[in-house]
Amino acid sequence: MDTLPLSTAPQDWYWLHDIPAGRLALLFLAAFVGFYWLGCVFLRPILRQFVKYTAGANDIVGYVLSCFGVFYGLLLGLIAVTAYQNVADAGANVTREAAALSALYEDVSRYPDPYGQNLRWLLRDYTRYVIKYAWPLQQQGIIPEEGTIRADAFQEELLDFQPATPAEEILHAEALRQFNHFLEARRMRLFSIKSGLPASMWYVMILGAVLNLAICWLFDMRFITQLVLGGILAAYLGTMMFLIFDMNQPFRGDVSITAEPFEVLFKRMNEE
Amino acid sequence: MPRHEPHAPVSGATPRLTRRRALSAGSAATLAAARLLAPAVFTGCSAGLPSGRRPLPLGLLHSQTGTLAISETSVRDAEILAVEEINAAGGVLGRPLEVMCPDPKSRSADLFPKRARQLCERGAVALFGCWTSTSRKAVIPVCAEFKRLLFYPLQYEGNESSEHVVYGGSVPNQQILPAVDWLFSSAGGRRRKIFLLGSDYVFPRTANLIVKKYLRARDIEPVGEAYLPLGHTQFRGVVEMIDASRADCVLSTINGDSNIAFFEALAAGGIDAEKVPVVSTSVGEDELRNLAPEHVRGHYAAWSYFQSVPGAANRSWVEQFRREFGYDRVTSDPMEAAYALVHLWKLAVERAGSVATDAVRQALREGLEVAAPGGPLRVDPKTQHCAKPFRLGRIRADRQFDIVHESAGPIEPDPYPQIAFPGWKCDWMQGGLERGAEVRIDGDV
Repeated sequence: MDTLPLSTAPQDWYWLHDIPAGRLALLFLAAFVGFYWLGCVFLRPILRQFVKYTAGANDIVGYVLSCFGVFYGLLLGLIAVTAYQNVADAGANVTREAAALSALYEDVSRYPDPYGQNLRWLLRDYTRYVIKYAWPLQQQGIIPEEGTIRADAFQEELLDFQPATPAEEILHAEALRQFNHFLEARRMRLFSIKSGLPASMWYVMILGAVLNLAICWLFDMRFITQLVLGGILAAYLGTMMFLIFDMNQPFRGDVSITAEPFEVLFKRMNEE
Repeated sequence: MPRHEPHAPVSGATPRLTRRRALSAGSAATLAAARLLAPAVFTGCSAGLPSGRRPLPLGLLHSQTGTLAISETSVRDAEILAVEEINAAGGVLGRPLEVMCPDPKSRSADLFPKRARQLCERGAVALFGCWTSTSRKAVIPVCAEFKRLLFYPLQYEGNESSEHVVYGGSVPNQQILPAVDWLFSSAGGRRRKIFLLGSDYVFPRTANLIVKKYLRARDIEPVGEAYLPLGHTQFRGVVEMIDASRADCVLSTINGDSNIAFFEALAAGGIDAEKVPVVSTSVGEDELRNLAPEHVRGHYAAWSYFQSVPGAANRSWVEQFRREFGYDRVTSDPMEAAYALVHLWKLAVERAGSVATDAVRQALREGLEVAAPGGPLRVDPKTQHCAKPFRLGRIRADRQFDIVHESAGPIEPDPYPQIAFPGWKCDWMQGGLERGAEVRIDGDV
């Protein structure tokens, strides 16, 4: 490709992931409880008009809330599991990439110099770039693209080597196999930088939360009781939303994948 | 006559402020303010910070694939080390530096200028890099168009002075001519029968033109001269020519991988360093990794810097480089120059109080000096080249150099030696370039 690699622009609202997890959880909680309480003051009197003269209104509202809660709870649960799975998969890809890199480093260390030395340098260069430059970009939701240049440089040097003995042929074939594993894991890591729930799913979740709270406003009970009981429900919804949001982007926020596998590898590469 | 929507207020009439409008406007303003301020309020991140804290982008223009990659990657690493040092010390004018390293893929004529253009378009405030003279010459028009400075770290042939370039490497009067003087000296064996050998491109052709004029001024003619294409590997004929010429030394401007084949053929031809020493101008520590020690031991290389330069500053730099990039990495002359040029740019920006090219250039023309690992590096305000010391190293078995000769101090740069380019002068303090008679370089490339 004959173009200058450009890092993709960070997504809007990426800054929310920069907030420490504790503060972000409080923010979600405050937003949900605050929304519910404000609704109690301003919207509840209007909504109550719909059920005001219905006999057993609280029972009906309670039944609707239970039904709705089951479906919404299922949705939230499944989404939370998906988000967690996403983080776990991305973490596995990072570990797989570092492991392939480590195996590749071992393989090329047995190549005759200067090939062996050049290939080791290039792998070290790649690892250093991932730790020092690619990871901070990933944490902002930007796909780092200069790593591709480094991987290309390694591939070029690797393919330039002509095995002279049967032993070198076997070693070279193994190195090429490891290189393909490495490339695959690397691509998976890059793909997972922007992986996350689609916008439509967020809209459904938020709409569901609003409807949940709106149903609570229909209950006929003491104002203070409504504030407390509904507030508890709103707080829990906020906590669930926070959990899903924080796990949604595998490389962002406090609950994110670190570059530790690469750091361990780089330390070992530099110790030899 | 403009058309109006039905019921829309006619141009010039003041719209009535209704409660709905006030509420809409208020909500929109609140949301916009929240969107703008929230990042800063909650995280203190850059989205809400003034531009004064945003990183300053620097463009590093080095091939990372292709034939030049192995040499250029090391130079890029030296520049990255300098940038990281600067960032660790607080950045430049309170702003951190950010490096952009695209890959010109060793394609000097087309991809180097293209990448330079892309870097400038992406906001690089200065460019560092290039390797071959072809790439440098191709990038200069881009620098002129975007008003950027190129900091070029390589030794080169001279015969050029652009106000858009700061030349950090040696020119012939700082590298090749002192090497010739040393060959004439008793320490060098009072050798007079010099064979000129080079790759066939602009640097060897121009450098050897200067050497020939220099020799003729001393009533000496080279005993032979040969040029071979870059990447050439058949040197048996050349070795026979050297043998037949009864040369007592070879001045080599062979570049790249051809050195492997040349030294191999030389050893196979029974010519050793005792009999006919080769003084190379393009073989450094990085290139020695590819050469068999038994073929090159005892031969010489002319540079301004060697990894084996004594002194605490150099030892510390070499250690730091190895700590960051690997225990078996080596440092070389172009790497040292590249590292020093980044620090020189920083010094100039701080002196100017701005990253604007004109201000930086003006600051550089004050004759700024930085402490490079191999000694002080000072900009000559007249030529925008650097005053540098000359060192001659003898190749050891461990692919390092014993320094056998060193100039008394830094040598002032002369990109237009009058002996070869009569009438040509450069003084950017007074009118710039003064052209002399046209000089034809054989095999002009």
